[in-house]
Amino acid sequence: MPGTPLDPAAMARRAAQELFSGAVVALGPGIPCYLPGELSSTDGVWFLADSGILGIQEMGLDADAVDAGGNTVALLTGGAYTGVVDIAGILRGGHTSLAFLQPSQVAANGDFVHWTTEATEGLFAPGPAVDMAYGASTVVAVMPHQYPSGRSNIVERCGLPVDGIGQVDIIVTDAAVMKTGPDGLELVEIAPGWTTEEIEAITDAPLAVSSGLKEMTFQVPTLGPLNKVYPSAMDALKDVPEGSTINVDGFAGPGGMAHYLMVGLRDLGVKGLQLISNTAGVARVSAFGAPNVIDHSILVENNQVAKATASYPVSPSVSRPSAFEGAFNRGETELEVVPQGTLAERLRCGGAGVAAFYTPTGAGTLLAEGKEARNIGGKDFVLEAGLRADFCIIRGHKADTLGNVVYKGTSRNFNPVMATTARISVVEVDEIVEPGQLGPEEIVTPGLYIDRIVLRPPDFSAYL
Amino acid sequence: MTSVPDNRSANGKVYPSALAALEGIADGSSVLVAGFAGCGIPEKLLCGLAETGVVGLTLICQGAWVLEEGVFGVADLVANGQVKKMVSPLPFHPEHGGPVKELWESGKLELEAVPQGVLAERLRAGGAGIGGVFLPTGVGTRFAEGKEMRSFDGREHVLELALKADLALLRAKAADTLGNLEYQGTGRNWNPIMAMAAAVTVAEVDQVYEPGGIDPEVVITQAIFIDRLVLAA
Repeated sequence: MPGTPLDPAAMARRAAQELFSGAVVALGPGIPCYLPGELSSTDGVWFLADSGILGIQEMGLDADAVDAGGNTVALLTGGAYTGVVDIAGILRGGHTSLAFLQPSQVAANGDFVHWTTEATEGLFAPGPAVDMAYGASTVVAVMPHQYPSGRSNIVERCGLPVDGIGQVDIIVTDAAVMKTGPDGLELVEIAPGWTTEEIEAITDAPLAVSSGLKEMTFQVPTLGPLNKVYPSAMDALKDVPEGSTINVDGFAGPGGMAHYLMVGLRDLGVKGLQLISNTAGVARVSAFGAPNVIDHSILVENNQVAKATASYPVSPSVSRPSAFEGAFNRGETELEVVPQGTLAERLRCGGAGVAAFYTPTGAGTLLAEGKEARNIGGKDFVLEAGLRADFCIIRGHKADTLGNVVYKGTSRNFNPVMATTARISVVEVDEIVEPGQLGPEEIVTPGLYIDRIVLRPPDFSAYL
Repeated sequence: MTSVPDNRSANGKVYPSALAALEGIADGSSVLVAGFAGCGIPEKLLCGLAETGVVGLTLICQGAWVLEEGVFGVADLVANGQVKKMVSPLPFHPEHGGPVKELWESGKLELEAVPQGVLAERLRAGGAGIGGVFLPTGVGTRFAEGKEMRSFDGREHVLELALKADLALLRAKAADTLGNLEYQGTGRNWNPIMAMAAAVTVAEVDQVYEPGGIDPEVVITQAIFIDRLVLAA
């Protein structure tokens, strides 16, 4: 007589042992929905679901918030709401550390079938699972070991059309924990009351027993939020390496630009920077700017800029050339000119895991030269590639300590999209508040995108 | 239903009933329906759609995998025989399928299951004027079958084309008379993206404010995307 199968809560508790502080975690429908409720606090991880919730505390009674399974949930203090396309971007763009799914079948090599069973074989119900499994660094399947009929859900090769190839890393079932791999399945833990032979008997794939085989435990980790607040601009940027690609927000005028971070970057003196920005520094030389306002020019004049990718790279006036223009004319910098909408779209695609896209703008002009042209449905398009950066320096109005950001007026501009495309995103704000003080409906940049927060000193001037 | 009748009144875009707001819908239309698991579903507009009696519809929506007692949802339109095809990530729940499963099994309903992120991205492309996108998701699975593949940075990607529809049925918490929308909780879901991807958009809301009644920093769907409004109650 084999042991008793674990209940979903116990499976969730074992699965929760894979969590770590600061993790961004996608939860699919089914047993994964139990995870938040099994932790004493979820403020150390971002539990998100394809329903558009970022920060799940536990199952609850808020009729306006549901998880991936359609269960009503309570929002984490400091959580936020977004739409499905933004969630898809988070998942596909590689912004999640872990995904927990309940497949109906997993193979020894990590292939999985999401919801389909033999009873509904002609139907494919991928839901969000395809995106969740693709983007996460580690994918954990949490599922019953067997169908109710007694047939195994863990197989050598999936017998139904799969929703992902080789993507499941760890399988937590109601009887065991296994790891997948090119050499097949490895049994690493068994539930109390079960024997290795009993697990083998209910597994429809060869099973290598780990030399470190353990009994499953159900202690959940205690997790807390990462400290994202840095004391100064230089502290927040001191590891920017030479030759880095850096997103710099800002529209054209003085607003919405991370002046304080820019000064920090100049004072650090790091060279060979490749800036991605709407302008390459025109606030000083344009009619709406001022000759002494801080802009990209301070980096150019300090010989730190090797390249700019921008839509307004030069001054509107020939008689007042910008610092970047001077450097470019002297052959000291490279320049890539991109129309503004294409720049925004390239950044959005970079952040959302879209490799390339066909845009109609610029087709047939010099801006499309050397790029693939294609007619789709009678209209001409040009292929443009997604754009990513190593760092980004952006300007918010307020941030909470979890990194959620709100903006003010048109200073929003490129900030939200740039925050999604950099490996490390640094935000400069007028005010840092506690989680919960920014409304979940008003947060524009979710905290999971922000790595470092710096307070713009109250006495800091944007003018030299 | 490709143009909006010029019959706006002093109430701006607010229409007196769901039926009035759906004027012009024709048999065979493609309809985007917002909502996720009972959250943010335009129930009154769906009832209105039933009342119009149009048939041969293609519904693009999350699916009918959560069936709520007493709530008129896409499954009920399907049960009415008005739907020819459904495009959805989770068309029905395998264990309690309802009308969608029954009609699909009897060959009276066509289902196209698509990964949620792919559907979202196709609608976004449609709304943003993008012709197509190369996505890494779905590679090697049936979702990529028959589609153009290309390698970027050594990784295979699938070409997915933009998707647009004739009509979008949306659900928001509040609007102003200009059509700016704000949502509540996960009621946001498909709404903002669907608002961009249809020729005509109709939003069902709990409340309509005068312009200025919604903080400009919290407007999620901008008025330019919304053609018609109807009150839920």
